[in-house]
Amino acid sequence: MKENREDRFTNNLWLSWMGFIIILIVWQIVSATNLVDSSIFPGPISVLKSAIIDVPIRRLIQHIGFSLFRVVAGFIIGAVTGVIFGIISGWYKKIGNILQAPIELIRPIPPIAWIPIAIFWLGLGESSKIFIIFLGAFFPIYTNTLKGMFNINPELLQAGRILGLKGIRLLLKVAFPATFPDIATGIRVGWSYSFGLTVAAELIAADNGLGYMIMHARELGQITVIIYGVIIIGLLNLFTDFLIQQIIIKRKLRWYYITTNV
Amino acid sequence: MICEDVKNEVIVDRVTKKFSKGKVDDGFEALSNISFTIEKNEFVTIVGRSGCGKSTMLNIIAGLLSPTEGKVLINGKPVTEPGSDRGMVFQNSGLFPWLTVEGNIEFGPKNKGMAKIERQKLSKELIGLVNLEGCEKKYPRELSGGMQQRVAIARALAMDPQILLMDEPFGALDQLTRESMQSELLRIWESCKKTVIFVTHSIMEAIYLSDRIIVFSSNPGRVRKEFKINIHRPRQKSSVNVMKYYEEIYEAIN
Amino acid sequence: MRRLIKNKKINLSENIIKIGTVVVIIIVLELLSRVGLLSPYKMPSPTQILIAIREVISVGFPKGVTILLHLKATVLRIIQGYLLAAVIGIPAGLLIGRSYILDRISTPVITFARSVATISLLPLFIAWFGITEISRILLISYGCLWVILTNTIQGVKQIDINYINAGKVLGANKRQMFFKVLLPAALPRIFIGLRVAVGVAFMVIVAVEMIGTVVGLGALIQQSRFYYSIDITVAGMILIGIFGLFLSVILERIERFILPWAFSLEEVER
Repeated sequence: MKENREDRFTNNLWLSWMGFIIILIVWQIVSATNLVDSSIFPGPISVLKSAIIDVPIRRLIQHIGFSLFRVVAGFIIGAVTGVIFGIISGWYKKIGNILQAPIELIRPIPPIAWIPIAIFWLGLGESSKIFIIFLGAFFPIYTNTLKGMFNINPELLQAGRILGLKGIRLLLKVAFPATFPDIATGIRVGWSYSFGLTVAAELIAADNGLGYMIMHARELGQITVIIYGVIIIGLLNLFTDFLIQQIIIKRKLRWYYITTNV
Repeated sequence: MICEDVKNEVIVDRVTKKFSKGKVDDGFEALSNISFTIEKNEFVTIVGRSGCGKSTMLNIIAGLLSPTEGKVLINGKPVTEPGSDRGMVFQNSGLFPWLTVEGNIEFGPKNKGMAKIERQKLSKELIGLVNLEGCEKKYPRELSGGMQQRVAIARALAMDPQILLMDEPFGALDQLTRESMQSELLRIWESCKKTVIFVTHSIMEAIYLSDRIIVFSSNPGRVRKEFKINIHRPRQKSSVNVMKYYEEIYEAIN
Repeated sequence: MRRLIKNKKINLSENIIKIGTVVVIIIVLELLSRVGLLSPYKMPSPTQILIAIREVISVGFPKGVTILLHLKATVLRIIQGYLLAAVIGIPAGLLIGRSYILDRISTPVITFARSVATISLLPLFIAWFGITEISRILLISYGCLWVILTNTIQGVKQIDINYINAGKVLGANKRQMFFKVLLPAALPRIFIGLRVAVGVAFMVIVAVEMIGTVVGLGALIQQSRFYYSIDITVAGMILIGIFGLFLSVILERIERFILPWAFSLEEVER
């Protein structure tokens, strides 16, 4: 019976790793047996070797640094404006309507589509990329914050009023904290968009950063480096998302997560 | 032994149920050495606190769970899996939201291979029995809680089971709806005479509905006491006799 | 978002403010352009944008490639990539969702694969398959696959046990359980995956088309930049936005048609 299956595998941990192990083994075999030309399809061992040789750690850290800088810069600007705009729009309905209109119109345009015009306006430097990333972070965070404002439990506001709070103080002390869960969701979504957009922007127009590293490797025909770069990006994404989750859970939202048992 | 089989439709024989979390000894004993019997067409209710294992007991009788020790016999044959002799009504109706009222009721017969015309006749009858004419083509989401449970009852009856298992079916309803559903249930039961095994934590509900009440204690679940309700139906919840039973059962639980 | 739409329905004055704001912005932009404060080379005026939109629709950009051709190219890529992902993702998801072992094994792998920025695979695919349609389609498939897969798996895993029990108690055999209980119960969640995947496909394709092709919505805006035809760029962006909206509306209609029972009464009536 299903309920007893769990005690059949006393060590569930190794099951989790089995997936990776299987893939690595299959990968190595396929490449080693030359089913596909091994210069085009290198095995994991070659990738590892190349990683050590072709991309010195210093270079890698540089690339990561550039990419992270862009993501973080764009993200913070987008997040802060998103939250502020969202809260204002949600609290002051008239201003909200005015702000919402252009935002709703611009939102359907994916941030990627802004790349050409951003480059045109801001050049090939950092500002165009940060602008794109800002867009990627802003919309989901704004939308979620707004949603959070709309969905505030009216009883909370009533309780605040009874306790003597009104106006801005009510907003800051009751309404704003009440939207934290939604803002948190927006942040996670916005971060993953920002990350993907950074890579995209770097692929299209940059001379440093992880996206550039991959594109450049392709021009040089270093497929191992491409694969290496792809994996690094994946790991970095996972790691940063994990970090953000931990920060959110540990600090701002302990009260929320304790009750909902995440 | 043979005589007992004939009289007792359901025999629960020293059933124990342990849930384990991985290692063999680290378990949670939900039921311990439960034994009781139920006669044909009896309305029996299992009463106890939340978490005393009464739902688990019902699931074992239904065949959805297997006992760790002991067995359940239905008309002499041991229960190993769900079957069409036992119908079940769940607390949250368990109605399939993607099927209409008709679709839900006809689900069981359709699986058995019943022809369309027969099915439709059957569902029409049952819908009439539970007083839901006009709702055939509605989806469960469009119905109130009480109506949903009525569909759930009709759906269970569509398999023509000998035994009807009901797991706190009125638990999610508001008090007023709950009370009207209780009378509804008695009416339906009286017209189609089945054995009913009912589970609830409401003592009053148990007294109102049942021929016999089995009180479970918790941690682990055990049979505390049994009560035979010797009052004529329909019963007055405020009557002295009922209140006497209430006090006794209340004491038995605590 | 639905709640916002319901509020819109009730508040006419809200709508007036919104529409009014947009009109005001457009007028201001137009005036700034006419007056010369806004360089037509940096930011085209609304009238210029309209003209550009017309141009893209009729004459095309580059000459001869009308918006329809761009759309066709983009849509074809999306459809092929998307269908490939769905055909693999849904059956795989159904299988994995039902098996504890498969789920445990595949979850870490899927989590990692999902974290790999889809676009970062473009150079890899170009190296393997060249700058061809195959590369683009496969890239879209990659992006869509994980979304569809994870949602399908969750759809199966999160089925209310009451449905399963009800099915068993009502005598369904293995096949009937799968097709008549499991599948319908998981369908809403599967649809969420399908819907999100369309968004992903859309974003990926626009990015992909900026590299190495001249036909397609992404190519349109990228190429126009090279020719300094910013009015076309903006026109293209607007058209992309409209297309995106159109996609989500269609998807909602399809979902409402296939899953009428998953929506509450008022929305169905609307």
